[in-house]
Amino acid sequence: MKRLTLNAAAVVVLVTTIFPVYWMFLTAFKPTGDIQSATPAFWPAHPTLEHFVTAVNAPGFWTYWRNSLVVTVAAVLIALVTALLAAFAVARMRWRGRGAFVIAVFAAQMAPWEALLVPVFIIARDTELLDSLAMLTGVYFMITLPFTIVTLRGFLAAIPPELEEAAQVDGCGRLAAFRRVVFPLLAPGLMATSLFGFITAWNEFAFVNVLIIKDQDKRTLPVWLSSFRDVFGTDWGATMAAASLFALPALLLFLFLQRRVGTGMTAGAVKG
Amino acid sequence: MRTRSGSIWPYLLIAPTVAGGAFLLLYPLLKATVISFQHFRMGELIRGGAAFAGLDNYAELLSGTEFWQVLWRTAGWTAINVVLIVVLSTGVALMLVRLGRGLRLALMSALALAWAMPIIAATTVFQWLFQSELGVVNWLLVTLGFDSFRGYTWFANGTATFAVLVILVVWQSVPFAALTLYAGLTTIPAELYESARIDGGNGWQVFWKITVPMLRQLFALVASLEVIWVAKCFPQIWVLSQGGPDGATTTLPVYAFKIARVLHRYDLGSAVAMLTVVILAVALVSNLRRMVRQ
Amino acid sequence: MKNRILALAAVFAVAACGAAEEPQAPAGPAKLTVWIMDGSVTEDLLKTFETTYEGAHQGVDLDIQIQAWDGIGERVTAALASTDAPDVIEVGNTQVAQYAASGGVTDLTAKVADLKGEDWLPGLAQPGNIDGKQYGVPWYAANRVVVYNKDLFAAAGIKEPPKTRDEWLNITAKLNKGGNQGIYLTGQTWYALAGFIWDEGGDLAVQENGKWKGALDTPQALAGMDFYKRLQALGKGPKDADEANPPQHEVFAHGKVAQIIAVPGVAARVLEVDAKLKDKMGFFPIPGKTADKPGTVFTGGSDLIIPVASKHQDEAYELVKALAGEQFQTDLAKAMSFVPNRTSLSGVLSGDEGTAAMAEGAAVGRATPNTPNWAAVEATSVIKQYMTAVLTGADPATEAKKVSETITTTLNSGS
Repeated sequence: MKRLTLNAAAVVVLVTTIFPVYWMFLTAFKPTGDIQSATPAFWPAHPTLEHFVTAVNAPGFWTYWRNSLVVTVAAVLIALVTALLAAFAVARMRWRGRGAFVIAVFAAQMAPWEALLVPVFIIARDTELLDSLAMLTGVYFMITLPFTIVTLRGFLAAIPPELEEAAQVDGCGRLAAFRRVVFPLLAPGLMATSLFGFITAWNEFAFVNVLIIKDQDKRTLPVWLSSFRDVFGTDWGATMAAASLFALPALLLFLFLQRRVGTGMTAGAVKG
Repeated sequence: MRTRSGSIWPYLLIAPTVAGGAFLLLYPLLKATVISFQHFRMGELIRGGAAFAGLDNYAELLSGTEFWQVLWRTAGWTAINVVLIVVLSTGVALMLVRLGRGLRLALMSALALAWAMPIIAATTVFQWLFQSELGVVNWLLVTLGFDSFRGYTWFANGTATFAVLVILVVWQSVPFAALTLYAGLTTIPAELYESARIDGGNGWQVFWKITVPMLRQLFALVASLEVIWVAKCFPQIWVLSQGGPDGATTTLPVYAFKIARVLHRYDLGSAVAMLTVVILAVALVSNLRRMVRQ
Repeated sequence: MKNRILALAAVFAVAACGAAEEPQAPAGPAKLTVWIMDGSVTEDLLKTFETTYEGAHQGVDLDIQIQAWDGIGERVTAALASTDAPDVIEVGNTQVAQYAASGGVTDLTAKVADLKGEDWLPGLAQPGNIDGKQYGVPWYAANRVVVYNKDLFAAAGIKEPPKTRDEWLNITAKLNKGGNQGIYLTGQTWYALAGFIWDEGGDLAVQENGKWKGALDTPQALAGMDFYKRLQALGKGPKDADEANPPQHEVFAHGKVAQIIAVPGVAARVLEVDAKLKDKMGFFPIPGKTADKPGTVFTGGSDLIIPVASKHQDEAYELVKALAGEQFQTDLAKAMSFVPNRTSLSGVLSGDEGTAAMAEGAAVGRATPNTPNWAAVEATSVIKQYMTAVLTGADPATEAKKVSETITTTLNSGS
């Protein structure tokens, strides 16, 4: 009986969680005429791929796709490396200013990025970095960095230093000890944080809007996502098809990392 | 193994972080601070030559009633959302631990899907679900016999719009929190539970005596991250209600957006942002203290 | 010669403000970047224009970029503030005033005659004019008409489109039967409300002693709102949404809606959803209070601007002249069912029922209050929210007073 209640509750949670996502995919497959109807249709009566065709054929799709991937992956990788160095310093070493550094990193998560739009624009303009993917990468790197450091620090702290020491005794250098012993244990943490960074940077659009001006070919996917709206309103079928395609990479990455994500995130925090 | 103080290594290791932070965060932040003390609008952005305005912007904000209303509304908004997120995600996490393998994987995948759904798409779908004439929610409620919801206009009423936004944000935030907490639960040794049960504790007592203390750190981390994210949450509110009706859903970020990017008063908008940061920092001060102690 | 004057004027403008980089004469072929809004011009027409123009102007390379509506305000602001802006930008006629006031747009006052500005549509020319200086060049206009379903009209025995508001209410009530909606009017179609208010002699906001004041609480404006409420009740348009959510043409395409208020160009979109409605759509101008004159409508449309930060001022002006000139205007009006930028060109619209109805309305078209801050009133949706409140039963006078105060604050927030 208890089992049954539990499973029933789980199914309710499952349905609630998935319904909006299902509705997005469903809309993407419905012909335009069926999208708005008085009695909701929970199954596509006449499934069509026309919206996906519209979306993929929208000008610049492949360019935007490539830009998004380049910017996001670069930002996440740079953030990971930078964060790993900093996290190591914080978790494994004692030094003056360490406390202040930790506070600064945590406080950096509160950065009011929306309000920094104008200053960042001015800086980019004055350093001639407008219309450059490098600037965009830099901003995304900075948006994801604080979270990455906080999580990695906790994760690193959870790995007993004795392991490294033992390796060093066995004749490894400190770097080699880190690479051979710590790094493999750290991998899940790296993946968990990278997924978070990926989703954040992948979704960002406010900065693209002001940092990429004249060079249309440097825009990213979120811009494309909003391009199915015109004077007559919005082509919701195409928008949802676009959104489905847009969500796909994050989803694949998640399914790929699924096992490790949860454990990575927590091990970091629990034992921090 | 612990490095002696005085070594140069730690400073070299944090150098990239510090350098990046200085150019990409601190410098813009300083600029924003300067702007908040200037007369800086669309004209100044385009032509340059902003004049120093002293504390005018802050005075304008703090002397008006709207800022304080918005502030309290934001506090309420954050509290309601964070409490719901933490409670629900704890429930989901506890549920995940107890589920059979198949159902657990299904539920975890569902959570992942919800998490990966683009914010704009999710917001649009919620807008549809709550449409008054063709919306699925009204259809469902009427079908279930709540006839007063026929054609109910969710977005005409401040409280109802607020409620829809809470549902949306909670729905979007639970996956991350639930998956994190679930992973935390799996790290608690089973022996602890067994011994607690042998001592005669019921489920509720076990939860408070074992689970909560074990995961205290994790709860603190999840809660403070959610406070930051919920308090700063913007696109959902803007797309769904533009802060309306009648200002009922205008939280600080929406307020700052209206001022800075709709009225092009970048100066006043920067002042709002600066105050927001200070308020958030104060709200999370205990958490910060703990971070230093570690 | 004229170009030189323009260049001089541009240099002057720059010298006066100081910050922006001086536009320099570039070496080699000039690459002109043009921003056109999504849905403004068909792809074919743009291609043809590009080829012809580049052929006629050696040394000019056009880079036409289609801009999405989302976030366009920020992109244009950023472009105007940059040091190397696009050379020609299309901006909505309710948005142009704020850019013109910012100092980032080239003053084209000296060029008005050259552009044959004497009979520009006022709904486009006025918003582009700040303090007597012309910054925006009218490009095209469109206004709403009533699009109706001929079958439903015939079934209800209605032979003639209504000429007055009373007739309109009567026939709409007749049509609103047996599962059909007399009219699908969403609660937040604010430009339709604007038209009704203008017909009553009211306005959205008025200027008194240099100060703007929200005017939705005047008796005239309240009368306009009252008519909107009576009309809206004759169908099932959602009271808390605008016509984009859900897109009204999709609702209309299901064939159960007798009328919608829309630009005639929407007909093509209806056919995309359901081709069976071909030849079943009729159009008439929004009825006025009396039969001698159609209802006042909101003139929507676009202006063209040249950013001060454009590095090709002369070439940009030549391009604007071509885009605003007779040939392109004629092509554009025909391809898109738009009203051309000059009244003397409106002849090109005859022969098409939809655009004819639109042109009739365009003659009495009006624009939103001519102040840089109007864009902010629109962006914050306060009028839409006011309408929803009244339609769902709140007291009109109280709500109108509240929203008027908000509009007053917004419009007087200095820039």
